[in-house]
Amino acid sequence: MSRSTHKKEYEIAIIGQPNVGKSTLFNILTGRKAHVANWPGVTVEVHEGETYFNGNKIRLVDLPGIYGFSTLSLEERIARNYILSGRPDAVIVLVDSLNPERTMYLAIQALEMTGKVVIGFTKSDAAHAHGIHINYDLISKRLGVPVVPVSAATLRGIRSLLRSAIDVARGRAGRKKPFRIDYGELEPYVSSIESLLKQYEERLEYPIRWMALRLLEGDDDLYKYVRGVCGEDIAEEIARIREEVKKIFRRDPAELLAKKRFEYLQRILGDAIVRLEIKKGRFERFTRLFYRPFVGPVLSLTILLGMFMIAFTINTGFPLNILLDSLGMHDAASAIEEYSIGGLMEKLFSWISSWIINSFGESWLTDLVANGIISGVGSVLIFLPLIMIVSLFLAILEDSGIAPRMAVSLHGPLSKIGVSGHAIFPMTMSLGCNVPAILATRAIPSRSERLRLLMTLPFIPCQARLVVILAFASSLVSGYGALLVVLGYSAAFLAFAVVNKILYTYEKRKTGGKEPEIVLELPPIHRPLGKVLWWHVWDNSKHFLKKAGTIIFSLSILIWFLVNVSPGIALTDNPGESIAAVISHYLSPIVYPIGIEPGKAWIIAFALLIGFIAKEAVVETLTILTGTSSAQQALILLGLTASQLAALTVFVVLYVPCIATIAVIYSESRSVRHTLATIALMLGIAYVAMLITYGLSLII
Amino acid sequence: MNIYNRTVALEELPSGSRARIVEIIGRGGWIYRLYQMGLTPGVIVDVVLNIGRGPVIIRVMGVEIAIGRGIARRIIVEPINT
Repeated sequence: MSRSTHKKEYEIAIIGQPNVGKSTLFNILTGRKAHVANWPGVTVEVHEGETYFNGNKIRLVDLPGIYGFSTLSLEERIARNYILSGRPDAVIVLVDSLNPERTMYLAIQALEMTGKVVIGFTKSDAAHAHGIHINYDLISKRLGVPVVPVSAATLRGIRSLLRSAIDVARGRAGRKKPFRIDYGELEPYVSSIESLLKQYEERLEYPIRWMALRLLEGDDDLYKYVRGVCGEDIAEEIARIREEVKKIFRRDPAELLAKKRFEYLQRILGDAIVRLEIKKGRFERFTRLFYRPFVGPVLSLTILLGMFMIAFTINTGFPLNILLDSLGMHDAASAIEEYSIGGLMEKLFSWISSWIINSFGESWLTDLVANGIISGVGSVLIFLPLIMIVSLFLAILEDSGIAPRMAVSLHGPLSKIGVSGHAIFPMTMSLGCNVPAILATRAIPSRSERLRLLMTLPFIPCQARLVVILAFASSLVSGYGALLVVLGYSAAFLAFAVVNKILYTYEKRKTGGKEPEIVLELPPIHRPLGKVLWWHVWDNSKHFLKKAGTIIFSLSILIWFLVNVSPGIALTDNPGESIAAVISHYLSPIVYPIGIEPGKAWIIAFALLIGFIAKEAVVETLTILTGTSSAQQALILLGLTASQLAALTVFVVLYVPCIATIAVIYSESRSVRHTLATIALMLGIAYVAMLITYGLSLII
Repeated sequence: MNIYNRTVALEELPSGSRARIVEIIGRGGWIYRLYQMGLTPGVIVDVVLNIGRGPVIIRVMGVEIAIGRGIARRIIVEPINT
C-alpha cells in the first residue's frame, strides 16, 4: 500500500513546559500504544510510543515536562542530554496558546541547541475563546521552523504536526543550524568563550555556541565536561570571563541571559500575537477560597477525605454501612455491604473456587487452583474497582487545575514539619502507590526536602496496605472495624509527620537549614477532558492488573507450595508441618510480645515476611495458610483479639511497603546507606508503634 | 523615568498592585526556576493575592504563580501606579 521509497523510521521527541498539554497530545499522537521505556543509567519515566504516518514509522519519545534546559532538575538534564545526543530526527516543542510568551521560552532554548525543531501551539481551540489570535506564519518565518496550531479537543492540526515533523526529520524543513539570539552587550563575552572552545571543536560533542552560553550561565555539569576535554587552562579562562561579566554588569549571568531571551521572544511574538480581551474564569471565586488561611487547608482536606469516603463506599460499603448500622438500619447496612462491588466480586471468586472443586474433585491440583491461585489473586483483585475510582478522583484534581491550588493551601501547615506544598502531589499519590510517588518527588526543587521525603513517604499507606487494613477490619464488629481503619491511617500520618519533623529539626540545627519554599504554577481551572481521565484510570488499573497477574499470581503458587509441602518434599495437609512453618518458626518470637501464642505466631510471622515482597500478599498468605476463602474467615479462625489486630494493623501500615518501593528509593537516592537507613527506620518505628498500640489498647 | 524611586520586597505588595522587578537576591536552584518562569528584572508582575501569610499569588506573562514568602521577600520590586 505505501510507497516503499518513502518508508522510513524516524525518532521524534516531544517536549514542553508543564501544563501545556503535552501528555494529552502524546497520547493522541500514539493512539495510547505507548509504553514506559527504561533509559540506561536513569530510572525515569520516559514514555515511548509508535505511530504510522504516510507509510513512515514514527517512534515518539515523550520527555518530562520542564521549564528550561538548565541542570536544575534530573528531568531537565535528561531532556537536554537526549536532545543533544543527536538521536531524535526532529524535536516537537509544544507551546501553550494561552500563554505563548512564557511557554515559548523552552522552544527558544531548544532552538539554540538544534535546528530540527517543530513548534506546536496547543489548545488552539481555546485560544480563540480567550480572544488570543496568533499569526503562526509570521512566527514560523522569523524562527525558520514550522509552527503548527493543534488542539487535543478537536484534533485539529494533529496530521499537520506529524507531517511537519517528518519534513524536518528529512531535512526538507527546519533550520540547518541552531538559532542565534543576539545577546547584545553580552555578545563579546559569548564569542570569547566560543573562540576558546573552537580549538577543540572536533573533540567537543555539543554545539559550540550553545556550550558557550551555558558556560556563561554557570552550568556546573558542562563546566566539568569542558575542563576534562579542553584542560584546566581553558576552564580557568572561561571562569574568568564569567567573573568579569558578573563584575561589570553586577548581575548573575544566568539572569542576564534569561532576561535577554525573554526580550528576544517579545520582539518575535510582540506583533504576531493579538489579545482582544482577557476573560476571567468562572471558577475564579471558588479557587480564591483555597488561598484563605484555615478555610483553604480545611477545604483541601475535605476534598481528599470525601474522595476516599466515596471510593470506599462504592467498593466495600464502608463507611456507609457502619453509619446505617449505628442508625439502627441493620438491613440496609448489610445490603450495602453485600452488594458493594467488593462484596459481589468476593462472592464470584468463592463461587468459582467451589465450582472447580465440585467439578474436578478434590485433589492437590484443584486445591492449588482453587485455594491457592483463585483465592490468592481474588483476594487482591476485589480492590480493582477501588483503585479505579481513586485514580479517577486524583486525575480529576490534577487535570482540572485544582491540585496545585491544594498544594498552595496546604503549604502553610506542611511547612511546620519541614515539607513544602510541592509535597502534596507525592503524598496524595502515595495513597495509591508509593513507587510513582517517590518518582514524583523529582519535581521538588529542594534536595534536602526530597531526601527526607524519600525516607518518609513510604509511611503513607498505599492501596495495597489499605487492602490489608480493610481485610483486618472485616473480621471485627463493624464499629470497631471503622475504628481500625482510622487507627491505621492516623498512625501512618502521625509517623510521617513526626519523622519529618525530627529529620527537619536535626537538619536545621546542623546546617542552619531553610524554611520550605514553594514556587508553583497555577494553570487556569478548566473542565477535565474525559479521555485524559480515562487514560489515568486505565494506566493505574493496568499497573495493578499486571501486578495481580504476575507477582500476586506467582506468590500465590509459591505460598501454596510452601504451605502444603513439608521440608521432606511431601504433600502435607497440616500447614504446621510445612516448609513455611519451619521458616517462620524462627521469626515467630517477634509477635510474642503482643500475646500471640506460638501455635499461631508462625502464621502471622510468615504473612509479615511475605508482606515484605508485596503488602497485598499478607491477606492471601493468611487465607492460604488457614485454608479459608476470605481474610475474614482466616482471622476469625486465628482468633486474634481486637488489641492484637490493632497492633498488627499498625505494624503492617508502617513497615517496609514492598520490594518495588525499596528498589525505587535506592535508584532515586543512589545511596545504599540512605536505602538501608530507610528500611531500618521503618522496621524500628513499625515495631515500636506496634508495641505501643498493643499496650494502649490493653489499658483502654 | 520613574519618579517613585522606592523599592520594596514583593512580599509587601498588597493584592491588586502592579510592580516591576528590580532585583532578585540570592542564589541556588530557586533562582533558576524563577528565571525560567519569566521572573527577571524589568518584568512587570501583578499581585493577584497577598493576604499577609502563606504564598503570594502573582501573575507574570499571563500565568499565575504561587510564590512562598521566603522567596517573595527576596524579589525586590518597584511599585507602578495604576
